[in-house]
Amino acid sequence: MFAVMTGQKLDRVPVSPFAMGYTAQICGIPLGDFYADGKKCFKCQLLASDLHGYDSTPMYAYASIGAWEFGGEIGFPYEPGHGAPYVKKHPIEKPEDVDKIEVPDPKTAGSIPLFMEVSKQANALGMPAVFMIGAFITHCGNAMETSRMLLWMIRKPELVHKFIGKIEGYEKLVTDWFVDTFGGDKCMAFAGGAIESNKVISPKQFESFSVSHEINIHRYALDKGVPSVMMHPCADQNKNLPFYKQIREACGWKGKYVWNFGPETSIEKQIENFGAHDVIGGNVDPPSFQTKSFEEIVMLCKDNIERGIKNPSGYILMPGCEMPPLAPPINVHAMVYAARKFGSFE
Amino acid sequence: MKQEIFDGLAEAVVSGDTEKAEKFAKEVISNGLDAYEAIMDGCSKGMGIVSQRYEAGEMYVPEILCSAEAMNVAIEILKPHIKADPAVSPKKVVLGVTKGDVHEIGKNLVKLLMEAAGFKVIDLGRDVSTETFVETVKREDADICAMSALMTTSMIFMPETIKQVKKVKPDIITMVGGGPLSPDVAENYGADGYAKDAATAVKIAKKLVGDI
Ligand code: B12
Repeated sequence: MFAVMTGQKLDRVPVSPFAMGYTAQICGIPLGDFYADGKKCFKCQLLASDLHGYDSTPMYAYASIGAWEFGGEIGFPYEPGHGAPYVKKHPIEKPEDVDKIEVPDPKTAGSIPLFMEVSKQANALGMPAVFMIGAFITHCGNAMETSRMLLWMIRKPELVHKFIGKIEGYEKLVTDWFVDTFGGDKCMAFAGGAIESNKVISPKQFESFSVSHEINIHRYALDKGVPSVMMHPCADQNKNLPFYKQIREACGWKGKYVWNFGPETSIEKQIENFGAHDVIGGNVDPPSFQTKSFEEIVMLCKDNIERGIKNPSGYILMPGCEMPPLAPPINVHAMVYAARKFGSFE
Repeated sequence: MKQEIFDGLAEAVVSGDTEKAEKFAKEVISNGLDAYEAIMDGCSKGMGIVSQRYEAGEMYVPEILCSAEAMNVAIEILKPHIKADPAVSPKKVVLGVTKGDVHEIGKNLVKLLMEAAGFKVIDLGRDVSTETFVETVKREDADICAMSALMTTSMIFMPETIKQVKKVKPDIITMVGGGPLSPDVAENYGADGYAKDAATAVKIAKKLVGDI
């Protein structure tokens, strides 16, 4: 991924398996340690990419983001069955909490110091320092408790708007901290949210609660010199597609963007919307990596490569979301294997 | 007149209008109509429409939660007026998201539609261990044990849970659902029922308890 974003030449389609918890498993590190200790998190990702020969850049992230940062509590995934950190206490439980809650200082806010630790390790090796922006609905849902936020979107929309405004303020401070520490050109922003999915909210709700904030934060990061953004609209966000395009247009298509949609959004549709400017990160069905055979995964990757390689602005072979932590290693190798066999540039 | 009130109730549920739900529920009582019939032909019918619209992509989870609120307002008013028949107590469903998994939106929809269809749901929430499922099934003498999983890392607890609950209650009906499940996986796990969405879950549950 780093190679594509910095314009380096590879002899095959780049591969980025979005492997987080998986890398802890194969390194024999408890999943909880992986998420609780930035050094271990970085090391596992680096070693796994070396073992498999794929092209990812290590980073910190998890989907239950937004609760801890605003004063709630999370649990680290130490128990069997846990796949990633989870919310134990939401910082917003009552309407009054929205007014009371303050924009936190990123230097001490929840997981942000962990993002920083992983970024420092990456920066030392010449890799991008990754921090998170966007995903306003996901941050908000994790802070308010998802069902409460969804109900308030209709019953008390002003509370949701108000808190999302605070999230924007906080994301600007996070951006400042990373840019001040490393320099904008050494950073990469990651923007990925699941509650934005149209299995949960309507495109209208996505538009009214988040698009203006998305535009603001993307402009802010780009203006600070952040050259690249990894976009991960998780799961089915087909109906939100026009708004993502709107965000890019509003930013004048500035920066190098990689789109990693869920498997529900066809590559053709992505090329149609973003192909003239942006890289398409593929979207092979994630659970298949755990449940299907090596041969089946190779065929899924082959199909993804054949369609993605048509994107005029570049393509990376990726799963449509995080690699399942329990995927058999041979199925991760299947991605590299398929890239060599069906994605060779020779 | 009766039909008008029941239709009004259904419409109030569909539009998530709590005031109208209250108004029509009170009309059911003031007109001496049957409260149980009003729940079934009003509230439950409304929730049925809601779930069809969700599946068709015409309604989303926030709207459904408002519908649920409206339904609950009506049910609270109607409940005390149900003529209890001691021979028929509602079937009990123990429902939860399996160990390690916090995805609960789908489980919540299943709960809503099950309740709207007259089941008594004991909601164990998310990240539920096998032991908790087993203890609750035993304590509540449940008819159905329903498990939801959205992650491949947490669905793997289902076969063991199914085995364990069958041990403590051999005639328990087990149901599974959630993204990574399929009819084949459900069968492999030894579940009695699987459904891809909440409306079908209700149909299957009714069929399995011999209601239809
Ligand atoms: C919203 C969401 C989240 C939210 C959840 C909020 C909440 N409180 O529930 C948040 C942001 C917290 C989240 C977190 C994570 N997520 Co998530 N998330 C989703 C998403 C986008 C939508 C799920 C949803 O709510 N759908 C809407 C509901 C209505 O649909 P449903 O759940 O399928 O339910 C319906 C049916 O399945 C059925 N049903 C459901 N249960 C039952 C039970 C029975 C008995 C029956 C009969 C039927 C039935 O009826 C329901 C109604 O019709 C899915 C994508 C997807 N494709 O599902 C990913 C997804 C489930 N998440 C995923 C992942 C990986 C994660 C994280 C691990 C990411 C991370 N690294 O941090 C964490 C998990 C943390 C944890 N410890 O659990 C992956 C799982 C892949 C896998 N390997 O299995 C998915 C599939 C995304 C993807 N494409 O890869 N996520």
